[in-house]
Amino acid sequence: MISLAEAYFFLCAFVAVVGSLTVVASRGPIRSAMGLFLVIVAVAGLFLPLHAQFLAAIQFIVYAGAVVVLLLFIIMMLGPDAIPASDRRGLFARVLGASVFIISGTFALALSNHALSALHSSFPQPKMEASFGGIDSFGMILFTDDVVPLELSAALLLVAVVGVLAVAQGHVNGSGKVLADLRATARRAALRADEARGRST
Amino acid sequence: MISVEHYVALSSILFMIGGLGFLVRRNVLVALMSIEVMLNACNLAFVAFNRARISPVSASAYGGASHAGQIFAFFVIAVEAAEVAVGLAIVLAFYRLCSTVRSDDANHLKN
Amino acid sequence: MRFASHPHDFALIAIILGMPLLGAFVNGLWGARLGKRAVRLMALLAVGSSFLASIAAFVALAQTTAESGDGQGKLAWTAWQWMRTTSGQGAVVAIDVKFSIDALSGVMMLVVTGVGFLIHWYATAYMANDSGFARFFAYLNLFIFSMLVLILADNLPVLFVGWEGVGLCSYLLIGFWYEKSANASAGKKAFIANRVGDFGLLCAMFMLLHYTGALDWNGIANGATSLVHPGDPFRVHVWPIGGGEYTGMLHFLQPARPYTISAATAIGLSILLGCTGKSAQIPLYVWLPDAMAGPTPVSALIHAATMVTAGIYLICRLSFIFVLSPFTMMAIAIVGAATALLAATIATVQNDIKKVLAYSTISQLGFMFLGVGVGAFTAGFFHVFTHAFFKACLFLGAGSVIHGMHARIHDDEKAQDIRNMGGLRKWMPHTHKTFAAATAAIIGVPLTSGFFSKDEILYRAYINHSVNPMARLLKGVRLYEPPEWLGPVLFWIAVLAAALTSFYMCRLYFLVFWGDFRGWAVGRPSQAAPEEIHGNADLHDSHGDDLMRPGYAPHESPWQMTVPLIILAAFSLFAGVINPGFHLMAEPPLEHWLHPVFADALADSIHVRSRAAYFEGFSAAVGFMAFAVGSIVAWWAYVAQGGQPTARLAGAFPRLYGLVRDKWRIDELYDATVIAQVDSLAETASVFDSGVVDGLVSKLTSLVVATAGSILRVLQNGVVQMYAAWMVIGLASIGWFFAVPHAQATVSGADSEDVIVSAAPGVGYAYRWDANGDGRPDTPEFSAYPTLKMHLTPGQVVNVTLEVKNAFGFVATRVISVSMPHAPTSSL
Repeated sequence: MISLAEAYFFLCAFVAVVGSLTVVASRGPIRSAMGLFLVIVAVAGLFLPLHAQFLAAIQFIVYAGAVVVLLLFIIMMLGPDAIPASDRRGLFARVLGASVFIISGTFALALSNHALSALHSSFPQPKMEASFGGIDSFGMILFTDDVVPLELSAALLLVAVVGVLAVAQGHVNGSGKVLADLRATARRAALRADEARGRST
Repeated sequence: MISVEHYVALSSILFMIGGLGFLVRRNVLVALMSIEVMLNACNLAFVAFNRARISPVSASAYGGASHAGQIFAFFVIAVEAAEVAVGLAIVLAFYRLCSTVRSDDANHLKN
Repeated sequence: MRFASHPHDFALIAIILGMPLLGAFVNGLWGARLGKRAVRLMALLAVGSSFLASIAAFVALAQTTAESGDGQGKLAWTAWQWMRTTSGQGAVVAIDVKFSIDALSGVMMLVVTGVGFLIHWYATAYMANDSGFARFFAYLNLFIFSMLVLILADNLPVLFVGWEGVGLCSYLLIGFWYEKSANASAGKKAFIANRVGDFGLLCAMFMLLHYTGALDWNGIANGATSLVHPGDPFRVHVWPIGGGEYTGMLHFLQPARPYTISAATAIGLSILLGCTGKSAQIPLYVWLPDAMAGPTPVSALIHAATMVTAGIYLICRLSFIFVLSPFTMMAIAIVGAATALLAATIATVQNDIKKVLAYSTISQLGFMFLGVGVGAFTAGFFHVFTHAFFKACLFLGAGSVIHGMHARIHDDEKAQDIRNMGGLRKWMPHTHKTFAAATAAIIGVPLTSGFFSKDEILYRAYINHSVNPMARLLKGVRLYEPPEWLGPVLFWIAVLAAALTSFYMCRLYFLVFWGDFRGWAVGRPSQAAPEEIHGNADLHDSHGDDLMRPGYAPHESPWQMTVPLIILAAFSLFAGVINPGFHLMAEPPLEHWLHPVFADALADSIHVRSRAAYFEGFSAAVGFMAFAVGSIVAWWAYVAQGGQPTARLAGAFPRLYGLVRDKWRIDELYDATVIAQVDSLAETASVFDSGVVDGLVSKLTSLVVATAGSILRVLQNGVVQMYAAWMVIGLASIGWFFAVPHAQATVSGADSEDVIVSAAPGVGYAYRWDANGDGRPDTPEFSAYPTLKMHLTPGQVVNVTLEVKNAFGFVATRVISVSMPHAPTSSL
C-alpha cells in the first residue's frame, strides 16, 4: 500500500512534469504561462514535506503571484504577435543542442543516483526543531548570518528596476532615425522570409 | 520511502525538460518560461539536499540546523524575479524594434 | 718664462680645443637671439683665443724641445678614458681621448688657427647680410674644433673623430644655402665621396690594431716591425682572400702559390684610399669642384687651406708606416703626380673663377702627395704650409671679386664667370695686388714661398728612390722596389703640371684684372626686378638709384675683407724664409724643427741618386723654365693677342676642348658605372621590399587571419539558442572530464633511495596501489591515502599500478615505472 507521503509526492511530481511539458510544448504562450503556473504550484507543494514552509509561501507569492502575472501582462500586450509563425530554420542546431543536453542530463542523473545511493542517507532524519524552515528561523538567519547577500540582492533589485525602466521606455530622443532604419530593415527581412515559406497561420 | 534520490530525480527531469524547451523553442517568451522551470528545478534540489542533511550542522547565530539550501533558494527566487523583469523589458524593446518575438530574428550581431 | 711645467698634463690644449667648441655651441643654440654683433664677437673671440693659446703652446713646445735631450718635445693632455679593447695578440689596448702637440702638429695647429682666424674675420664682412649668419659661424667654429681634434689627436680613433667631424662640417657648409637643391647635392656628394675613403681608413685602423697591437703613435711605432714580418700570420692574404684554399668546384681559382702582401702595404694602401677621399686625389677628387657651391670663405678655409690637407697630415704622421712599404710610396707618388697633371689640364679651360681655383687646389694637393710619396716629407709638408697661405689668399680674393661683380651682375653664375670680368684692377686695387702676390707664389716666382716649396718637391721627386728600411732584417726575402725610371718620370710629369699651373693661373689673373671690363652688357638691372635676381654674394642692403646709372662699376670690398688678404699675401710672399732650399741656409729652420718627427721614417728608407747635387741646379732651372714658359705663353695669349690664339685652338679641336672642359667626363663615368650599379641594387631591394616582404609579411598574415576569421564567423549567427547549444556542448565536456576519474602520479626523490610516488588528487578520489608488481593490489579496499613510499636499490625498476575510484564508482588504472639509475662510476 502506498503511503500518503509517497502519494502526495507522486501527485505533485506528476503535476510538475505535466506543467513543464505544457510550458515547453505549447504553441500559445498563454498556455505555456499556465503550465508554468502549474509547475510553480507543484514545486511549492513539494517544498512542504521538506520542511520549507516559508519558502513555499514565498515561492507562491513571488513566482505565481508576480512573475507569472507579469508574463501574462506582456503576452497580452503583444497580442497576436506573441504567436509567431513556425518554420524549420536552424533545426539542426536546436536538435543538436537539445539532444546533447538530454543525453548528458540523463547520464548525470544516473551518476548522481548511483553516488547518492552509495552514501546511505535517507529520510526521515532525527527530529529537528519545530522552527526549522519557518519564518522565525528564516528571519534570524537572513538578518544575522546572511545579511550581506540580503542587502546585495536588495541593491540588485533596485538596479533591475532602473534597468527595466531604461530598456522598456518608449522612443528615446535622437535615436528615432536609427530605430526607424532598423525597423524598416527588419520588416523587409520578415516580409521576404514570409514570402519564402508562404504565409501560414 | 521518499528519499532524496526521488527529489533529485524529479529535479533532474524538470531541469531537462526546461533546458529542452529553452534550446528548442524559438519564441523568446516560451524560452524565458523554460528558464523559470529550470530554476524551479534547482530550487527543489537545493531544498531537498538541505532537508537530507548531507552537509554537517553549521555553527551560526541561529544555533540550529543549517538552512543553507533554503536560504540559497530564497535568493534564487529574488534574483530570478529581477531577471524575469529585465528579460521581459528586453523582449519588449526587441519587439518594438523588429515586431517579432522570434529568437531567430534577433541576429543583428551576425558575423 | 717656462710655459710647460707638466708636459704630460698640458691643459692649455683644452683651451685650444674648447674655445671653438664653445663658440660653435653658443652661436648654434642662441645665435639667432643674440644678434649679429654678438655672434661675430663670439666667433672671432673663439678662434682668436684659440690662436693665442696655440702660440703659447708652440712656445711651450719649443722650450720643452730645447730642454729634452734628444730634441723630441711633446706636450700631451688626456681628456678622459674612452675604451678598452683587445689586440690581435690578446693584450688589452687602452684607447683614451688624448691630445698631444709635437713638432708636426704644432706647426699645423698654428696654420689652422691663424688662417682660420683671418678667414673668420673676412667672413664677418662677406656674410654680413646673410640670414644664416649665426648658423654659418657656428658651423665654421665647429669646423675649426674638428680640425684641431684631428691635428692634435694622439691616437687614430680620436683622429678619426676629427676626420669625420671635418667631413660633417664640410657637408654642412657646402650645402649652407640649402634651398637650392644643387647646393645640397654638392654637400651630399662631398660627404659620400669622403665616406668611401673613410672605409679605407677604418680598415687600416683595424689592421693596425691587429698587427701592431696599438692605435696611438708611440704604440704603432713600437710595433712597426711586425708589419713587415715575413712570417705567414703577419702577411695579408690577397689571393686566396683571407688565406685558406679553393677546393672542389672552385679549384681552378687556386693559384700556384698564395699571393700575399705585407701588412704595411695593406695598411698603407687603405690609408691612401682614405687620404684620396679627404684630400681630393684620384679617384675620389670629384667632390671638390662641386664643393664650390658653398660660400667663398668656406672654400677658402676648408677646401684650400685646412681640411683637404688632412690627408697629407695623416701620411706625414704615419710616415714611419708608409716607408715600410716602397710599393705604397710609389702608389702615393703616382697618384699625386697623375692628379696634379689631370687637374691642371682641366683648370686651363674652366671659366668659373672658383672652379679654376678648385682644380688648382686639387693639382697642388697632387704636388704634396708627390712630395710625401717620394719620401720628401718635410718638402711636402712645407708645401702644405705655403699652400694654405696663397690658396686662402686666392680664394678670398676671388670672393672679393665675386662680391664686387655681384653688385653689378645679380646672377650667381654669371658673376663668377671670368668671361664677364676684366680690368678690375682699376676698381679693386687691394684685391688686385694681393691676388697678384698669391698668384706669384703659386706659379713659383723665384724667392716666393711657393717657389721654394715646389722646387724642393720637384728636386726630391727626381733624386729620391724608396727602399725598404727593414732590408737588413729581412735578408733572403724578396722585397719590392720601385723601378729606377720612376723618379725622372714623376719629375717630368710634375714639371708639365707646374707649367700648366703657371699658364692657367696667369690666364685667370689676366682675364680677371687686365684688359677691358666685359660685364657691361650682362644682366642689366633694368631687365629684371632687383628682388628676384639677388643672388647669395650680394651684400648690398639697397641700391637706390645706383641701378639706373649705366656706368655703375664693381667696387672694392670693405676693410675687413682686404686686411686679411694683405696679411695672407705677405705670408705667401715671405713665408719661404722658414725653409729655403738651394743651400741658402745651413739647415733650414723647418727642416730642423721637423727632423725628429721624420727621423724614424727617413732612416734607411730613401736612397738618393748619385751625383744628387748636380741635379739640384738642373731641377731648379727646369722649374724656372716651367714657370717662365707658362706665364709668358699666358701673357702672350691673353694680353698681347687678346685671347685669339686660344679661341682658335679651341675651335680647331672642338671635341677635345669639350671633353677637357667637361672635366674629362669622369663624373659621368662614375655615374654610369658605380652609381648606376648602386641604383640598380637599390631598385632591386625596393622591388623585393614591396613585393616579397610586403606581400609575404603583410598580405600573407592578413590572409591567414582573414581566413581564420571567416571560418570562425560561421559560428556567430547571432541566434542566442545557437550559443546556448555551444554552451551545452562545452558544459557536457567539462562534466565528462569531472565524472571520469584520472589516474596520474608523480615520482619525486629519485636521486635518493627513498622514492615517493604521489597520485594526483581529485574530488572524492580513493586510491589503491600495487607496489610490488605482482598484478594484485596490495590492499583489497580503496583508501584515501594518495602517496606511496618505496625504497629502491640502484638499478631497480619497479612497475607500480595505481587504481583510482571516484565518487561515481568509476575506476581508472595507470602503470607507473619507477626506477633508479646506477650510481655514476666516476665522479669527474
